[in-house]
Amino acid sequence: MKLITCKALSKQFGSKRALNDVNLELSAGEPIALVGPNGAGKTTLFSLLCGYIRPTEGAVEILGYAPGSPALLGKVSALPQDARLDPNLIIATQLELFAQLQGFSAAAARQECQRVLALVGLPEVAPQKPSSLSHGMSKRVSIAQALIGSPELVLLDEPTAGLDPANAKAIRELVRGQVGKTTFVISSHNLAELEKLCDKVLYLDKGILNQSISIQDDLADEYLTLTMQSCDDTALTAALEALPQVLSVKSSQSKEFVIHYQITASFALETELFALFNRQDWRYRALQRGRTLEDKLFSQA
Amino acid sequence: MDNLTPRSSWNAALLLARFELKKILFSTRGMIGLATFALAWALLLWYPIRQASIYLFSPDFKQLLEGVFGAANVGELLSWDVAEMAVLWVAALYLFPIFSLFVGADQFASDKARGSFRFLTLRVSRTTLFFGRVTGYLLIQAILLILTLVATLLLVAYRDTSLVWAAMGSGVLVFINIMIVLAPFTAMMAILSLRANSARQASIYAVLFLAGSTIVNGIISYYLPGLSNILQWLVPGAQLDMMINTKGLSSLAVAAIPLLQAGVLLLLGRSYMARIAL
Repeated sequence: MKLITCKALSKQFGSKRALNDVNLELSAGEPIALVGPNGAGKTTLFSLLCGYIRPTEGAVEILGYAPGSPALLGKVSALPQDARLDPNLIIATQLELFAQLQGFSAAAARQECQRVLALVGLPEVAPQKPSSLSHGMSKRVSIAQALIGSPELVLLDEPTAGLDPANAKAIRELVRGQVGKTTFVISSHNLAELEKLCDKVLYLDKGILNQSISIQDDLADEYLTLTMQSCDDTALTAALEALPQVLSVKSSQSKEFVIHYQITASFALETELFALFNRQDWRYRALQRGRTLEDKLFSQA
Repeated sequence: MDNLTPRSSWNAALLLARFELKKILFSTRGMIGLATFALAWALLLWYPIRQASIYLFSPDFKQLLEGVFGAANVGELLSWDVAEMAVLWVAALYLFPIFSLFVGADQFASDKARGSFRFLTLRVSRTTLFFGRVTGYLLIQAILLILTLVATLLLVAYRDTSLVWAAMGSGVLVFINIMIVLAPFTAMMAILSLRANSARQASIYAVLFLAGSTIVNGIISYYLPGLSNILQWLVPGAQLDMMINTKGLSSLAVAAIPLLQAGVLLLLGRSYMARIAL
């Protein structure tokens, strides 16, 4: 059974069509990324999947059930955008209520609350009120509530927005650690982060599902992404284009070059590149197989 | 967790109701609300209700009341066994519904505005959440009413211990009657609280609705008195005037009106809750 199925899914808000004829099927497993510019319809899609709103047209199913169905209670969880806990009650009280509603006994709910807070590195905040936490800590507590009872599907809307790099990394590690137990669908603008975490990437723009790509795509091997520290951009481009196996070179941003090449002997191109850098005394920062997610999504090449 | 069995709807609704009770009784905001309620009732108990025992049963005062309002309008009220309970009855009949407009205003408004509903609806159905919250707020009002009745009983005991049993009997009937009266007000506030963005806004909606419906019905009664006679029963509290001059079990004679109103409002609220965007 598919984890998520959307058939001709559309959502209209007044005169604005936030989602337009979205069709997709997602299976359980590796984390799935949902990307797109502001207003692309990511949060609308999340809200439809969680059953917070109803589709204008089309249908959506999670594990074969409509969102909000009693069969899904406790199996689907989410970090909704802009949702906050009750500022008048301590965090433990609220998370324990959520756990009890999912079927935990009072004692087990206390333990589960401690477990999920420990997962996000905040076991000490249990007796505090949400108003005493920073934005980043609140976000981590909200992620903790989504992990109560290890649900089968967790939807995370911008989980690392507003987090410092160390905590963003901790959240990535946390998601990675739950793979196998839980499938995550993560909406984010941070493409580098999604690249590290997800295989399947869904790209929404103006309410339309434009692309669905795999980072592990075999075609990725035909590309090298070169990031330089110091070089003459024009000279480097010319030198790269002169190499026989290179089909094209594109510089998507300063000091970054995407090389499309014909695969020949193992590491032949890489060896020639290092020889070139050595001759010209150019310093490179990174050499990556395949293209970056950003290049895949936004390049027409 | 594979071994987790989701709670039944009843169980989850009761858990939510208990949680609401705990929230009111153990949060700073709830304590301030309770203190305000206690202070208002302390004043009522100490002055009009305590004084009632002195005046209400004196023959001169009875005669005065019957002269002003007519024997048919106050006769039953003046025949209550315990004067304090009679005054409490009249005060509670009007004050508790007014309290309900404020106590029940935050059944859903704050949660909806801050998005906390989104955490809850992934764990309980919207119907369970709706009925759990309404039950919780009825429990809160029941506790406030019990506290008021106990305080009145203490006043009665302070004056004459032999009246305590009679007062307790009256107290049970007052409790049942007032809770029935409060049911449609609580259900109405649940709907308005779902619509409003804050508790204050929900209370304002309630005042506007009650005052507006009285004015509109007044206008309709001038042109279409028959229609007005039917419409008046749609508004919570329509039967209150008929209940003042009653005593004992006879107060339950019009209980069907608030119970029907509550039933209809709860069905409307459940339907609204199921459709609302969170």
